Amino acid sequence: MWQHFLLTITRGRGTLPAMNTAREFLLQSQNADGGWGYRVGAMSFVEPTAAALIALRDENTFTLSEVEGRARDFLIAHQHADGGWGIAPMDAESGWMTAWAIRALAHSGGANDAIARGAQWLLATQVLRVEESANRAQIKQLLAIDSTLRGFPWQPGDASWVQPTALAILALVAAGQRDHARVREGIEYLFDRASARGGWNVGNPWMIGKAMPVTIQDTALALSALRSVQIAASDARVIAALAFVRAASARVTTAAELTWTLVALRDWQLEIEDVRARLNALQRADGSWQGNPFITAIAMSSEM
Amino acid sequence: MRNPIENPNSKIENKLSRRAFLRLALLGAIASGAAYIAKTIEPIGLDYLRWMARGFTTQVFGSRTRVALATCATYDADVLAALARVWRDAQMPDLRGQRVVLKPNLVDFVAGYPTFTHPRVTRAVIQFAREQGARAIVVGDGSAFRRDAEAILDATGYTEMLARENVPFVDLNYDDLVSIPLKGGYAKMQKLFVARTVAEADLLISLPKLKTHHWTQLSASVKNLFGIVPGIKYGWPKNTLHVRGIQFFLAELVDSLPTRACAVVDGIVGLEGDGPIFGEAVPSGVLIAGTSLLAVDATCARLIGFDPAAIDYLNFAAWAGIGAIAESKIELAGEPRAQFARAYARPPKIE
Repeated sequence: MWQHFLLTITRGRGTLPAMNTAREFLLQSQNADGGWGYRVGAMSFVEPTAAALIALRDENTFTLSEVEGRARDFLIAHQHADGGWGIAPMDAESGWMTAWAIRALAHSGGANDAIARGAQWLLATQVLRVEESANRAQIKQLLAIDSTLRGFPWQPGDASWVQPTALAILALVAAGQRDHARVREGIEYLFDRASARGGWNVGNPWMIGKAMPVTIQDTALALSALRSVQIAASDARVIAALAFVRAASARVTTAAELTWTLVALRDWQLEIEDVRARLNALQRADGSWQGNPFITAIAMSSEM
Repeated sequence: MRNPIENPNSKIENKLSRRAFLRLALLGAIASGAAYIAKTIEPIGLDYLRWMARGFTTQVFGSRTRVALATCATYDADVLAALARVWRDAQMPDLRGQRVVLKPNLVDFVAGYPTFTHPRVTRAVIQFAREQGARAIVVGDGSAFRRDAEAILDATGYTEMLARENVPFVDLNYDDLVSIPLKGGYAKMQKLFVARTVAEADLLISLPKLKTHHWTQLSASVKNLFGIVPGIKYGWPKNTLHVRGIQFFLAELVDSLPTRACAVVDGIVGLEGDGPIFGEAVPSGVLIAGTSLLAVDATCARLIGFDPAAIDYLNFAAWAGIGAIAESKIELAGEPRAQFARAYARPPKIE
C-alpha cells in the first residue's frame, strides 16, 4: 500500500492505474517455471524474464517477492557452465542474452557469483572483425564502418551489432566493469555505427551509397548505453540521436515504438508526458501492451 | 635389412626403362589427381563427393517439376482468380484439412520502395485457402531489420487486411522454438532453431516479392525463408546466417525444411536494382507458383533476365542435387514466359 502511495506522489495522474494493471498482467502471466514468454502461455525466454524481473522488482524492499524469487531462480538455473546464457532453456549456446540476465540479477540484488561469471563470459566474447587492409577498405567503401572495432555480437564469433553491444555495455556497467577496455571499445563501436542523420539501426548506417533507416529501439538502447557511461548530453552524436527520437515520437504509433521512445527520452530527462499518454491509451484491458510480457515490462521500467 | 646403396655389390639398375617411366608417370598422374581432389574437397571432406554425385544423378535422372505463370496486371485486378489459375496450373497441394502458414516477405517498410509482398496477394491466398477448405490459416514472418513487427504490419497495410480476414499473425522472431536437425551439412551447422508455428504446419506457402538482392542477386521463394529463422536467436539482421555463406545456408533451409512447402511469388510489381530495399518498382504483372522452391526461383531468374546458374545459391543447390534449376527439368505451365520476360536492372555487385 505504501508503495502505491509513493507511486502516486511521484507519477502523473493516469499513470498509476496503468502501471498497477500492467503489474497485475505480469504477475498473472508468469509461467510455472518462473519465466515469461513473449506471449501469455508461450515458452519462457530469458529476455522477457529478465525484463519482467527488472520491472517488478520493488527496490524499496530487501527481500524478493515470491514471483521475483522464482524469476531470479529461473535465470540462475539456466546459466551455463561457461557463465553465459542462451535465449531459452532449450538453447545450450551462450550468447547475447547473457547481458539481459546480468542486468536483471544485478537489479534484483545478490547472485554476485552468477553476475561475475556472466560478466567474464561477456568480456571474453569473441567477435568477428576485419583488420586486413584491403578488406577493411572495401568494407569502409560499402558500409562506411570501421570493421576493426569490436562491439558485441548476437552470438560468439559473429560480427558486432548495435543492440547486443548496447546491452553488453549496460550489463557490464551493472556488473561494476564500467572502466573495462571492452566497454570503452564498445562505446567507440556505437559511435562509429551512428547514422550521420542521428540515431542507430541494427548496425549498418550505410549500405552501398544509401543511408539505411534508423530505428527507435536500436537508438533507445544505444542512448541508454551511452548514458550509463556518462557520455555528456552535449555530445553531438547524442544530440543528433535525441533529435531523431523526438522527431520520430510524433509519428510512431505502436506500443513497442512508443515504449522505446519513452525509454530514450526518460534516460536523458526530456519531456515524456505526451508519449506516456499515447502509450497508456494503447494499454489493453488485461493490463498489457501488445499482449506481450516483454513490451509490458519495458513500458513499466520506463516509469522507474 | 641393409640399405642397398651401401652395398657396393648390389645390382641396382640405374637406367630407367621405358616401361618403368610410364608406370611412374601414371602413378604421378594419379597422385596429382588425388592431390587436386583432396585440395578441392578439403574444406568439406567426403561430403563434397556425395553431394556432387547426388547432383549429377538429379541432373541426369531427376524428374521434371512444374512451375506455372499467370497474368495479373495490377493489384486492383482479380488477384484471387489469377491465383486460382496459377495454383491449378502448377498442380499445387490440396489444401483441404491442412494447417497452412503463409509467409509473405515483410522484411521492412521504407516509404516509396516496394520491398514487401503486397497484402492483396496475401489476402488472395488466404481467401483461396479458405475456399479450398484449409483447417487453419496463419500469416507469419520474422522481419530482418526491426524488432517491432506491428509497425511493419501497420505501414504495409497488413494490420487492416488481417483484421478484415480475421487471420492471426505470428511474429516468427518470437515464436516458441523447435530445434530441427540440418541434414545437409552445407553450412556446417548441426541444427537450427525455427518457429514452432512453421514446424507444426502441414504446409508452408512462401509468398515472396520478386526482387533483386545485393547479396544473393535474386530474392524470391528461397531467400524469403530467412523469415522463419528466429531473430531472437540469430539476431537482426540474421547475419549469423550470412557469415556461414548465404548460398550454403539457403541450401540447408530448403533441404531441411520441417514442413512441406510451395511458393507463390508476387511478381505483379517487382523490384529491380539495389534490392532488397532500395530498388525501383517494375510492373511485371505476373504470379509464379510451384512446389519446388528452387525451380520457382530459377524461373523467376529467367523471367528477369538472370542466368540461374550464375546465382550462387541456385547453382550450389542444383550442383548438390537438392533440386533442379535447368530449363530441361522445369515444365512451364500457364501463360507463356515470354509474355512476362523483362530484364531487371542488376543489383550492385558485392564481392
